[in-house]
Amino acid sequence: MASEVNTGFLNDKKLDSIAADILRPVGITQGFIIWMGFLGISLLACIYAYYIQWDKGLIVTGLRDYTSWGMYIANFVFFVATSLVGMLISSVLGLIGFKWVKPIARIAEIIAVAFAAIAGLVIVSDMGRPERLPYVFLYGRIQSPIIWDVTVVTTYLVISALLYFLPMIPDLAISKGRMGHTPKWLQKTYEILSVNWIHTPQQYKILLKAVRIMLILIIPTAFVIHTVTSWLFAVTLRPGWDSSIFGPYFLTGAFVAGSAAVVIMMYFVRTNYKLDKYLTLHHFDMMGKLLVLVSIVYLYFNINEYLVPGFKLKTAEAIHLNELFVGDYAVMFWSVQLLGLIIPIILLLFKFFRKPLSMLFISIVVLIAAWFKRFIIVVPTQDHPFLPKQHVPDAWMVYHPTIVESAITLGTIILAVIIITILVKFFPVIPIWEMAEEQHETDNKIKE
Amino acid sequence: MTKRYFSLLLIVLISLRLSAQVWVVPAENESRKSPFTFDDASRKAGSEIYNTSCKSCHGEPGKNNAIPLVPPPPDFASVKMQSNSDGALQFKITAGRGPMPSFKNTLSATDVWRVISYARSFNDKYVQEVGKSSAAGGASVQNVRILISWLKDKNQIQASLSALKDKVNQPVAGAEVKLFAKRYFGNLLIDEARTTDAFGNVFFNFPMDLPGDSAGHVQLIARLTNEAVFGEAKADSVLTIGVPTYRPPLNEQRAMWNVVSKTPIWLLLAYTIAVLGAWGFIIYVFLQIRAIFLAGSNKDPDSL
Repeated sequence: MASEVNTGFLNDKKLDSIAADILRPVGITQGFIIWMGFLGISLLACIYAYYIQWDKGLIVTGLRDYTSWGMYIANFVFFVATSLVGMLISSVLGLIGFKWVKPIARIAEIIAVAFAAIAGLVIVSDMGRPERLPYVFLYGRIQSPIIWDVTVVTTYLVISALLYFLPMIPDLAISKGRMGHTPKWLQKTYEILSVNWIHTPQQYKILLKAVRIMLILIIPTAFVIHTVTSWLFAVTLRPGWDSSIFGPYFLTGAFVAGSAAVVIMMYFVRTNYKLDKYLTLHHFDMMGKLLVLVSIVYLYFNINEYLVPGFKLKTAEAIHLNELFVGDYAVMFWSVQLLGLIIPIILLLFKFFRKPLSMLFISIVVLIAAWFKRFIIVVPTQDHPFLPKQHVPDAWMVYHPTIVESAITLGTIILAVIIITILVKFFPVIPIWEMAEEQHETDNKIKE
Repeated sequence: MTKRYFSLLLIVLISLRLSAQVWVVPAENESRKSPFTFDDASRKAGSEIYNTSCKSCHGEPGKNNAIPLVPPPPDFASVKMQSNSDGALQFKITAGRGPMPSFKNTLSATDVWRVISYARSFNDKYVQEVGKSSAAGGASVQNVRILISWLKDKNQIQASLSALKDKVNQPVAGAEVKLFAKRYFGNLLIDEARTTDAFGNVFFNFPMDLPGDSAGHVQLIARLTNEAVFGEAKADSVLTIGVPTYRPPLNEQRAMWNVVSKTPIWLLLAYTIAVLGAWGFIIYVFLQIRAIFLAGSNKDPDSL
């Protein structure tokens, strides 16, 4: 079959070796089965937790009348945030013309697709009556930021999926004939998904145009998705949420979480698939620099977000900030700021720490801190409602997440990892044709 | 040092004085008593008045759920409330103070006593002392009828009072009458209290600019002030004498907080354009995938 594939303007020898490297791990291996088995069993436990919630309602969570947005909404913001990196890497950096992002772009898109897809599911986990989900579409008011959020999360998911799929079409065609070691159904899937790709200049021309449209469209969409998510909070008058910089604050925070996720995934792809040749030390170095840049921008927004109200200390804001700086949330707040932002910035300024293994550890800490940062944004505000709190039941006073709700949250993370694992294991994780192409040849071919 | 202590003492005294502001009731009001004996009927009537006029601030008696105002509205079952004499309660309800409105124009004197009657039903130890006037057998002139009419050319409201005396309808002369226009929050006194002439007629000057409802309707209430003599004589009638005023309902205009069919136009446009724009491009890209598929169906690239 390989001979039928017209790869005329790609350097055949180079293509063969790249395709062999990248396709080697594709397929079902023993490691994959063990890993998926582990994830699957863990997920079953979490699904049981969700069954309890489905059966009994949100009473099994720590959510009550005053803190009605808890771990689930924090988790939702985290998922939306992390998914934004797809836009940053492929679009912003790619369109500017940074060549080094080429092998990372698909990794970023996988994260975007997995996290955006699960974000929608996370919202359903926060619903006491999930069977009423269709009501959002049937009776939603377009004046509500919640409807804007539902709209834009869906749109972003579709665009991310297209940005994952479109550049992979030539790879699927290239791979078709080189998949002898994989199951038949996978080969059939490649056959269908490669949509008759035969590497003609016309097809390349159409493809590049389509990719370009999506690369541009995803930028405003990604801005809207996280800005609207921030507006879910910022359009209220609550201390800690009532902020005019919440949009950019969320957006820059998203890039920190997303970049850390990309580094973590790069590390595992590189070591497990032995792809050192494609994900080089240079890529880690550049990602380290990117992480420093986005972290500094986020730190700048953090200073604005906390220092300005901290200087004025309006009554309600003062109670809220006191809780964060020296009160019940102080340990979490300062850990997140130091471990998730300040220390990583300092470390990553040195080339010594911009190595794969040290960056893996730093990124894991940054990503965990990013999750807790969302918790800090969502929960403490609700501990101090404007409504009188004197005669309410004790359970309403302070929010304590329950085991059931923690398990469900963990389940969403496991689900995202499962999606990532499947995409990474069954499809080429690094763009074969883009690595192999001789840029000028492609250009010449299109011009003909 | 002494000076400082002195000023501190002064501040403490002033704040104590402020926090313990006593509501002084004149001695003659303090000892005033209800002209009738509190019974089930008066308690029931009182509870109805309580629900429409008092409950929104004072809450449900015995439940301590009054709204937080300064000074706080006391619960009707509380010791603070019950330690007032009947006369003191009557004075306070009628006069009002600060956030407590005056019910002078809104409730008749009898209605105020009915509310007190209801309030006392939460006090087991209460023993009523009935006022002297009730011993005489209530109002001396009974079944007073009041007719309200509008003298358009003079722009005056005429109230004609008559009562059945010796089985003959006779005008009531020398009775003091007040005229009110009903507003959202209580009754508005029109002109001033006037006394009926020998024919039982009384005339009030009516303002030209009183807002009515959308059709110009105004509800007028004429009431005799001396309830001891005339009882609760009162007339209620709706006349088309106000300035027609259309108050649009709050949900009439398009607004962010309105129903979806009343979305602001700018938002409707922005949302629709954004959604159609984004999905237009997405659909276009799906069509491009189809174009790639079709281009590949032709196996001979040279013919493309």
